[in-house]
Amino acid sequence: MKFKAFLTEHGVNLFERRFLPALDKMGKICHLFLTRDHAIFLHNLLNGDGVQCIAQFRKEALFDDYRISSQNEDRIAFAIDVSLLLRAVRSSVSICTEFGNGPSANRLQIKLVKKLPLNCTQPMPFLTFETKGYKSAVIQDVPISKPLSRAQVLELQTALELAQDIPQTLVQVPDLNQLQNFVERMKQVGDLLNVSISKYGDLHVQISTTLITLGAEFRKLLVIGEQAEAPSDDRNQSAQTRSERAISRGDAQRVQVSVKHFSRSLHCHLAKPDCTFYGIAPHGSCLTVIFQFFIPGTHQTDKSISLHCRLPVLDPGSS
Amino acid sequence: MLAPGDIRNCASDSDHSTGSLIRKSSKMIKGKLKRSSQQQECGLLSNVFDVSLQDMMADSNHRSFSSQGELAGKENKEREIGEEMSSSAVEAEAPDLVCQLDNVQGMVDALSAVRWKRHQDAVVELSEHGVVLIVEDTGCLQAKVYLQRELFVRYDYHAEGRPRFGVSLGLFVDCLNSFSAPGRSSMIEIQYPGPDMQLLIKSVDSLDACIYAEIRTRIPDTISWDYNFEPAGSTPLTFTVKTPLLSSIKKMILHGWNVHFCFKILLGSSIQINLQPDPPCITFKGEGHGDLQIDFTYYVNTDLVIAFHCDCQVSYRYKYKFLRATTSNLPSSVIKDNRGSKLTMGRGGMLKVQHLVSVARSATSHPHIDSAGHQQPSRIAYIEFFVKSEVDE
Repeated sequence: MKFKAFLTEHGVNLFERRFLPALDKMGKICHLFLTRDHAIFLHNLLNGDGVQCIAQFRKEALFDDYRISSQNEDRIAFAIDVSLLLRAVRSSVSICTEFGNGPSANRLQIKLVKKLPLNCTQPMPFLTFETKGYKSAVIQDVPISKPLSRAQVLELQTALELAQDIPQTLVQVPDLNQLQNFVERMKQVGDLLNVSISKYGDLHVQISTTLITLGAEFRKLLVIGEQAEAPSDDRNQSAQTRSERAISRGDAQRVQVSVKHFSRSLHCHLAKPDCTFYGIAPHGSCLTVIFQFFIPGTHQTDKSISLHCRLPVLDPGSS
Repeated sequence: MLAPGDIRNCASDSDHSTGSLIRKSSKMIKGKLKRSSQQQECGLLSNVFDVSLQDMMADSNHRSFSSQGELAGKENKEREIGEEMSSSAVEAEAPDLVCQLDNVQGMVDALSAVRWKRHQDAVVELSEHGVVLIVEDTGCLQAKVYLQRELFVRYDYHAEGRPRFGVSLGLFVDCLNSFSAPGRSSMIEIQYPGPDMQLLIKSVDSLDACIYAEIRTRIPDTISWDYNFEPAGSTPLTFTVKTPLLSSIKKMILHGWNVHFCFKILLGSSIQINLQPDPPCITFKGEGHGDLQIDFTYYVNTDLVIAFHCDCQVSYRYKYKFLRATTSNLPSSVIKDNRGSKLTMGRGGMLKVQHLVSVARSATSHPHIDSAGHQQPSRIAYIEFFVKSEVDE
């Protein structure tokens, strides 16, 4: 089982400034799944009642000189502490910028090693970052779990495939900061969030307890997938009536999720996505958030990066 | 400076060692300030207080905008207008109050100032002059927030009498807070009652994004203890401090004294406030495990005491936790604004603490507001606390 690659400058940027800070918010530990073509960060896919978060990168987006080999079709997976990974990348970057002479002079090598740590009798696996400075080399070892067994990798792969279903209707949230700000404040009021999404492009989030109902409705959002024309007589109704009617017509779905999960999924905006879509998976199985990234300077989707979250549904709702 | 942990350790030490620490700190701290003339002109801040509070609270015995007579004319006029309006609408359905506010954060700040514990029931009273929110604690502390109708962009009042309802203060504040977004002024509409006697709030500044809330109200309890505040004599016994009381005390405690430790001594105990006319001086005296005395001499040059009126010596004791409740919950933005606080002692030692909180839209949209924060009184929310003095056993 071998893995060795060099992080490109773009890859370092993606890691350090965007993805690792976002993934760190999703949970301390995640699985890193490396294949011949992809590096995938997975939160809560195997054990999970938390938010599932899947960040997938084509190898070219992050690495060059990417070498991987294992007896399991060149697939390697292990668990890693995201915050330690972020610290290692950050400190490597600071060494590079401090001593380096341009990006080509020092490259950040990342590889899988087994070492015998102090006071241990058993060698332990590490993901090692090696930065060659002007006069010195800095090596950082990030501890990782034992690589997953063949059966566990298969399980992870299956879970990953299952997590790829796309909701029939997706609505685009234009201002993620605004939504996050609202949800952060909403958290004080209750724990359960009702989310309904309609084919008319309405996103309605609501907390309802015995003492208070607090909600927000965002209308006329861009719809991807199945859409419908909003009935004109709905215009003067309240947000609640509108979503009730849309659900009864079969034009909307509603699920109940944890406010904490919802707010956590919004932390993905740290990865600086260009677009964010919310949708409810078929049969209301989960609330899906899909983040879209453009190729810099264009409006074309960067297919080498994908990020999406799946929020577990607490109550099947009315779907 | 001691960390909180250190304080805990000190406190949990044997009585002997705690005692010695406290004895150290029980040296009297005397303000060295003197003043030349007692009848100096009051600072601007106290003027703001006096003028605007007179407006608000013409009758000191009836805090709740209950001075009916003088405003009867105005009221009639309004009612006529109201009737004209309602003749075209469906008359029976007009809610008691529909009002719009363009600075939610200001209202959140004002209400947060009276939020001294997690679960507090508040009573809200509506009138043609504005909204008053009242909170109360164990018959010893009462706080009122006055939101005049001028604070609102729109204020449509249709009720007969003064409708009152109970609401959870924490929920109300947290809910209002959801409407406020940083860097953006948001307009909200508040309506009472909703179809099920709820308090309805919704954002009204955007067509395609709307935030709404419905808060359950309850029938208010009758407030158990009437906080009638009567002046102690012909001259009011009053002083105005620039920063809220406790921060002033903290400032007064000389540098080098560990403020937290001093207050740790006082926690759970009471503070005696003594006013004397000659030399004009305010004394705070805390007696807990040790004792702490701060003499606060009125001096015209000090920034701390802006105004001082006292013609006879008075001395009353108050629970520290209640005094703390009157100041410690003011949002930092309000303290930064530095409008000062006015303290008045009434008959029986009832202490009245008054604060002003700006509900201005934002500094940039009101360029005529100068840096000292002197703005039209209509954009200020008034907060009053009444603290009952401790009765000697």
